[in-house]
Amino acid sequence: MNVSLTRQQHLELYYYMKLNRMLEEQMERLFRQNKIVGGLYSSLGQEATSVGTAYALELRDWMAPMIRNIGALLVKGFKPRDIFTQHMARYTAPTLGKDGTSHFGDLKERHVVSPISMLGDLIPVMAGVAMAGRYLGQKIVAMTWIGDGGTSTGAFHEGMNLAAAQRAPFVCVVENNQWAYSTPVRFQVPLRDLADRAKAYGISSYIVDGNDVVAVYTTSKEAVERCRAGEGPILIEAKTMRMKGHAQHDPAEYVPQEMVEYWKARDPIIRYEQYLTEKKLWDPKTKAEIDARIERELQEEQEFAENSPLPPPELAEQGVFCEGCHTIEAQWERPIEEVMPPKSSVRPEWTVKNFGGIEVVEGRTPAPTVGLSGDGRKPPARAVGKKAKSGKTVGRSKVRR
Amino acid sequence: MAQVTFLEAIRQALFEEMERDPTVVLLGEDVGVYGGAFKVSAGLLERFGWERVIDTPISETAIIGAAVGMSYAGLRPVAEMQFIDFIACCFNQLTNFVAKSHYRWGAPVPMVVRGPSGGGVHGGPFHSANPEMYFVHTPGLKVIYPSTAYDAKGLLKSAIRDNNPVLFFEHKFLYRRIKEEIPAEDYTVPIGKAAVRREGRDLTIISYAAMMHTSLEAANLLSKEGIEAEVMDLRTLYPLDREAILASVRKTNKLLVVHEDTRTGGIAGEIAAIVCEEAFEDLDGPILRVTSLDTPVPYSPPLEERFLPNAEKVAAAARELARF
Amino acid sequence: MPVDVIMPQMGESIFEGTITKWLKKPGERVERDEPLFEISTDKVDAEIPAPSAGVLKEIKVGEGQTVPIQTVVGVIDTDGKTSAPAPAKTEPPKPAAVETTPAPPPASSRATAQAPVAATPAARVDGEKVRSSPLVRRLAKEHGIDLAQLCGSGAGGRISKKDILAAIETGGAAAPAATLPATGRAPTAPAAPAAASGVPGGQVHIALESAVPRQRMYFGHYEVQPMNVMRQRIAEHMLASKRVSPHVYSIDEADMTRIVEIRERTKAEFEKRHELKLTFMPFFIRACIEGLRAFPMVNSSVDGTNVVLHKEINIGMAVALDWGLIVPVIKNAEEKNFLGLQRSVTDLAERARNKKLKPDEVQESTFSITNPGVFGGLMGLPVISQPNVAILGLGTIQKRPVVINDAIAIRSMVYLTLSYDHRVVDGAIAHQFMHKVKTALENWNENVL
Repeated sequence: MNVSLTRQQHLELYYYMKLNRMLEEQMERLFRQNKIVGGLYSSLGQEATSVGTAYALELRDWMAPMIRNIGALLVKGFKPRDIFTQHMARYTAPTLGKDGTSHFGDLKERHVVSPISMLGDLIPVMAGVAMAGRYLGQKIVAMTWIGDGGTSTGAFHEGMNLAAAQRAPFVCVVENNQWAYSTPVRFQVPLRDLADRAKAYGISSYIVDGNDVVAVYTTSKEAVERCRAGEGPILIEAKTMRMKGHAQHDPAEYVPQEMVEYWKARDPIIRYEQYLTEKKLWDPKTKAEIDARIERELQEEQEFAENSPLPPPELAEQGVFCEGCHTIEAQWERPIEEVMPPKSSVRPEWTVKNFGGIEVVEGRTPAPTVGLSGDGRKPPARAVGKKAKSGKTVGRSKVRR
Repeated sequence: MAQVTFLEAIRQALFEEMERDPTVVLLGEDVGVYGGAFKVSAGLLERFGWERVIDTPISETAIIGAAVGMSYAGLRPVAEMQFIDFIACCFNQLTNFVAKSHYRWGAPVPMVVRGPSGGGVHGGPFHSANPEMYFVHTPGLKVIYPSTAYDAKGLLKSAIRDNNPVLFFEHKFLYRRIKEEIPAEDYTVPIGKAAVRREGRDLTIISYAAMMHTSLEAANLLSKEGIEAEVMDLRTLYPLDREAILASVRKTNKLLVVHEDTRTGGIAGEIAAIVCEEAFEDLDGPILRVTSLDTPVPYSPPLEERFLPNAEKVAAAARELARF
Repeated sequence: MPVDVIMPQMGESIFEGTITKWLKKPGERVERDEPLFEISTDKVDAEIPAPSAGVLKEIKVGEGQTVPIQTVVGVIDTDGKTSAPAPAKTEPPKPAAVETTPAPPPASSRATAQAPVAATPAARVDGEKVRSSPLVRRLAKEHGIDLAQLCGSGAGGRISKKDILAAIETGGAAAPAATLPATGRAPTAPAAPAAASGVPGGQVHIALESAVPRQRMYFGHYEVQPMNVMRQRIAEHMLASKRVSPHVYSIDEADMTRIVEIRERTKAEFEKRHELKLTFMPFFIRACIEGLRAFPMVNSSVDGTNVVLHKEINIGMAVALDWGLIVPVIKNAEEKNFLGLQRSVTDLAERARNKKLKPDEVQESTFSITNPGVFGGLMGLPVISQPNVAILGLGTIQKRPVVINDAIAIRSMVYLTLSYDHRVVDGAIAHQFMHKVKTALENWNENVL
């Protein structure tokens, strides 16, 4: 698939990443000035993953960001003021102060679903969004992110399984930033490559350098278009590093210094700046302009947020139920008759293509194995016992890829 | 008007709503080809197709999660829990994702979660649950528990048409045991309104679901002894019809609450608190409750009988209250 | 030894009192008859003297609290002097130390039993609390029914909704005889007369009700002023009196010229000699006494189908107060001479205004006089002060042209209005009584000095 970026698009990638980083630096300052309510999370070092993946989506596509995907929110059309006001609990925030951090969204225009704090739950929700979009005839793709730690949850598994069973047009970006709070990935997940989880769901996967924004973008674009074409869910593992602690309160002293240095040398923004310069996609003047623009924007947006009021106390009692404040409307992009009788009628019977037993191959008695699937694929290299020449069984085996 | 069972009334509601509104879809385990474990969705796949009647993997979290996603995209999904007992598996999705969605970020979730609940069928501890109070206690969810075929159909329609998440409990004991004549034309029953099933003047018995019928049975026994009980069917557990409850208490001045749910944390406590707060000086006696024991639901018939309320237990409590 | 201090009864219709101020603190010494605490009741605010000398040991009822009469409100530790044995704690609190505070006479106890219910449930004979329910207590309070007098048919003898509704319907305490205390408060009144059909022989209980839906009173600008206890009780008493006694009015006028002249002539000397102002009131009282002597029916009370003819003549004298109205009583007025009457009138009026009336000074009237004329106006049509059967209203004494011997003369005239209870006082009696009074006034010949 030919995925190329125009010069303008290249610059936009830089703009979003830089905006992402500078916005978060500003928020850290605000946090230290006690102007942030509650906790603050950082996606330092992961900007390329957020921006690159989100940039591959079209306007009509849906996404559900996680806590370290502010870059994706910015790409999708939210403004720095939305982020600031959300963290400062103001009445002008998208949630009016009802919830904080990145727990907001926009169903109607930007098609962004708000996360909750429990991990993994966005997976089945976005699978549902994808299924609904397909049902309505929309050619949409639903994308969400999850960390290495989040893939341990039951919700992740159930959601992926359902998405795969339904061949939903759903892209799951697994951001392997090596750490889930203080737990290194190897204690979280018994795999070196999280992309291997895709095998459990029979879906395709990619592994990409999460700090190379162009690579992330092109991979994501390819995945999104394959999804849109009906290939079913796709999993992308972006390898990156969480450069700060879990949140502001966590100094992350448990991360070995060498690891930090290793990834510092691979900083996504510095790398990209070098790339743009090398490829003569910009000059210092353009860079300065973009940087200045970002600074101005952030200054204005922060001022707006700081001058915004806190919500009125009565708001606490309102909004538990929707009592006529919303109209639920589906955007049909296919004739409704297709899903109504008589066109929708089917014969309620299963057509079963494979009957699922163990196949007997002429001339060979199959050894008792585990992991032998019913459609005749070669058993994986972890047979428990091999046919013994000497009558002794060789019991142990090692798994190596 | 035709005589239909409680179960058939539910099926009709699903059928008619899916006919009426193309955004209504059904998802759950074995709801499609099999027609549902209790055959509630029999015939729906045939009529509405694979895209609208979805057989899911065994993943309650994913079922509810997908329903949320569908709601966000503009559909009105009806998610089935094969037995309502399994709702415990998606407690997180329901209480954290679904219930808080509109309050937090203004995103309504027009979905219905329905399933067979309740005991008295020798189902044992995992197929006899009455988990309504976990969700009555969670702000953001509506909880419905009908007791008649007419109400089941009307309330399920209201639930599907509501923009808010609604839990719809179908007492499996009633599925095929009760029959009623219901109108052929489209009708709904309002959520949040109780119904007086039997007028009386000596005491009020408030109940719902299967126990509503038990209460009526008890009321008949009491009538022979000259005690006329007023029997009120809550129908909706959240939001509660406070006005109806208070009006009845002000009329009879004595209150007995009957529910199949376990005693501690059951809705009788909530009703008693409301009545004490708002109608203390209308009480001519203590507020009594007849409930199941505070134990898991036992399996063997004599154990389950001991566990559950019955007409005799209700009548005994009512007698005590009437004589106070 | 400990002596109980009790809430006294300040009048027949008074069944509870509010302690407004304790004048002594626990540990302080108090002499016998020294003012110990102040109370407010529906008819009178009063200082209550200590029943015995000693140290105030304990205050049981605090300021602002309202309790039924006879409630023990405090305890005095006497200094060893033997006083009347303290009443047994389990019995209803009897008046303590008989030789000091005049105890409310037992005769009134039957009436007290049918009290408008206080905030706390009434005590039963044996000290046990009456069992009822919130609904029953509310209904009892609304309708002024004493739960202690009801028989409960609910579980364990509880007064149930059925019982209170029945009591409300019959308009009074059901079966009072069954719940009367056996000792200490045995009524000396004769047994209740056999109830005539429809008349249960019990007291009427009045709940203050509105003739129009309440919300119709609240419009435009207004200020809501809650009634004080005295005003509430006055309101209830007026309603009850009008409901119980069919009021009929007889109006006459008396020529007061002679008395006016006597008074003018003698008042300076009177004042010098007796250090007392000479008012018109003793004249009117004397005249009434003559009338009452001649027509004893006007000096009676009505108990069902019995007429209680009082032998004493106790004149109730209405006194207007800044905060209400009170009727102190001149006891045995027929035994007092003119000076004695004037003294009583002055003394009672002054003490009424200073809240210094004693409990027994506001009860047991047999006939009442009111003087609306003192505020202007020709005459008034007063409400009978229960349980009297008549009340005399005095108009303004003013000069008017009258016809005497076919000539016009200017005389000091006064309109006299008698409101009387037509159950027992017929027009003939009323008018003859009035005539007697008028004649006594017009032909005054007694030396007032």
